[in-house]
Amino acid sequence: MTMDRRTVLGFGGAAVAGVALAPGMTLIAAPSPDKTEASGDQRWAMLIDVNKCETNCTACTKACRQENNVPLFGDANRDIHWIRKLEIRDKEHKRPSVSLPVLCNHCENPPCAHVCPTEATFIRKDGIVLVDKHRCIGCRYCILACPYKARSLVYKKTSFPEGGNPNVPIRAKGVVEKCNFCVHLVDEGKEPACVQACNGEEGNKAMVFGDLNDPKSEISTIIREVKTQTIRADLGLKPHVHYKGL
Amino acid sequence: MLSNFTAIEGRSFGYWRLVIFFGVLVLIGAGSFVAVEVHGHGITGMNNQIVWGVPHVFAISLLVMASGALNLGSMSTVFAVKQFKQFGRFSAFLAIALLIGGLAVLMLDLGRPDRLLLTMMHMNFRSMFTLNVFLYSGFIILCFLYLWSMFEYHQFTKVIGSAAFMWRVILTTGTGSIFGVLHAREVFHSAITAPTFVALSLSSGTAISILLLVTTFKQTKRDLEDKVVFGLRNALIFFILLVAYLLVVEKFTKYYSPAFYDVQGWILTGPYSSLYIFGVWGAAIIIPLAILFHPSKGNSVSGVMWASLFSIIGTFSIVAHLLLAGQAYPLNMFPGYEVSSAFMDGVTATYSPAAVEYMLGFGGIGIAGIIYLLGIKFFRMLPDKAVAPEGYELPWNP
Ligand code: SF4
Ligand code: SF4
Repeated sequence: MTMDRRTVLGFGGAAVAGVALAPGMTLIAAPSPDKTEASGDQRWAMLIDVNKCETNCTACTKACRQENNVPLFGDANRDIHWIRKLEIRDKEHKRPSVSLPVLCNHCENPPCAHVCPTEATFIRKDGIVLVDKHRCIGCRYCILACPYKARSLVYKKTSFPEGGNPNVPIRAKGVVEKCNFCVHLVDEGKEPACVQACNGEEGNKAMVFGDLNDPKSEISTIIREVKTQTIRADLGLKPHVHYKGL
Repeated sequence: MLSNFTAIEGRSFGYWRLVIFFGVLVLIGAGSFVAVEVHGHGITGMNNQIVWGVPHVFAISLLVMASGALNLGSMSTVFAVKQFKQFGRFSAFLAIALLIGGLAVLMLDLGRPDRLLLTMMHMNFRSMFTLNVFLYSGFIILCFLYLWSMFEYHQFTKVIGSAAFMWRVILTTGTGSIFGVLHAREVFHSAITAPTFVALSLSSGTAISILLLVTTFKQTKRDLEDKVVFGLRNALIFFILLVAYLLVVEKFTKYYSPAFYDVQGWILTGPYSSLYIFGVWGAAIIIPLAILFHPSKGNSVSGVMWASLFSIIGTFSIVAHLLLAGQAYPLNMFPGYEVSSAFMDGVTATYSPAAVEYMLGFGGIGIAGIIYLLGIKFFRMLPDKAVAPEGYELPWNP
């Protein structure tokens, strides 16, 4: 059997109509970034004093897992890390190693948000970079784009952990997630869990969290008066996690 | 001199055996999709270091080949190479088939494929992915229009064919840019990554066309003049040399800067060095060129087929190397420092692909294969016989 020209045209036409309609289709209006609760009056940032941070201290990472129901699968390659401790040392081993936590830098120019096809990753007016886990399609392009390894795909189904935090949902299988500066706490006027833990009994008081737009805040004062650095500033992303003593 | 276009009969045992073969591949792909959907990406070999694995290698390779499959059409329509005019329909149709196969794998490998429609509803025009959604849709539309004009409205063939040619160059630039634009990834961040993809599409698209044309003509007992195949061989040689040239320029530029010594040394000695040496240079460049330049093998159709096969294996290798080595190489967060952590910082990532990943990739090939087989059965895609124009002599033979 051979199809005639009209049939070819019919098939072609249907397919053309299909692909032509698809990209322009708008069934639900996307909430525009300026409709978030956050206000542009603040610019949240973190400062970590590397001289105070100790190698064996994991107060911040533990607090993060507890606060945000971030599970450990026991598989180092697939575990989810919203904040992790790094040891760095000069290649010649002339100086002692330095320990520091690394988390999402809530970049002002976030490549993760730039590459995200669905705008699931977006930046709030107050500078917090968030992932809408209901909009993320799990393409993982953002993981490739983030220079700080701040993102993890949730490889397995997770369940509510024993003694978990009922105020925060569990991590969702198949989507990419990362540190959100404990946005639920920040919106209540509190500090992120890691900062609270670092400044609590177990920690070494190495973390400061605050508003860079407020010139009187502790973080603004330190950044103004002391030399601080961000990781890979050369990439031009303007990270908002600053380090002192790096 | 153009002979009639006819559909193949497609009633033989051999034909249906092929349909069943590709059908089984589609089923295998569907099965693996369901398995990953139910259990999550935990059952693949991917991890939080290598997040794009074997399915992406298949998908990107098929997409690159799809754009290249349009070569024959473009060469006749845009560059007036008369002997390829008879393959215009074949070429546009093959492009569509490969593109659909590649896109299917890409979509089914999403962490949440059920949310695919979201990509149409919320678009971020800064994302290379979103731009690619438009480029791929536009490419399919143009290929259909091109086919349509070749079937019915010949007066439009030149215009639409030229538009399709330009579109595919942009399309493959878009595919290459998915990687090229990522600043932090030292293996593939380069302005030359996208042009390399364009060159790769030219070589692999020509190679797959040679393989399919020779096989299809032979199986359907149609005449395909050797001279036509050797014309394609000459094009293939040129395209492979172009790929080699771009690879060399990239290496040369990077070796000039001490900042890249570490990563370049790692490419030659790290866990992906065999893939680089034997896949990228061996299969994609050296072996096919050695065959094609060989005085007897380069002048035999079977030799050209072997070279084409290697060129396709090489294309998969180049994509695999770029993708996997590109992700495995540790991010350089603290240049000049050694880094370690519980999250595999500072170490080369490990990755052993799981069977489900290959199965998903084969599913994409199955889809492309089925579309091709049904296309040549139901539509008049291929000429009854393919001969070179009268008096045509090849400008060069090995
Ligand atoms: S650190 Fe990574 S995940 Fe966080 S905002 Fe920057 S690019 Fe995005
Ligand atoms: S994985 Fe999710 S958040 Fe990341 S780029 Fe894709 S859609 Fe955006």
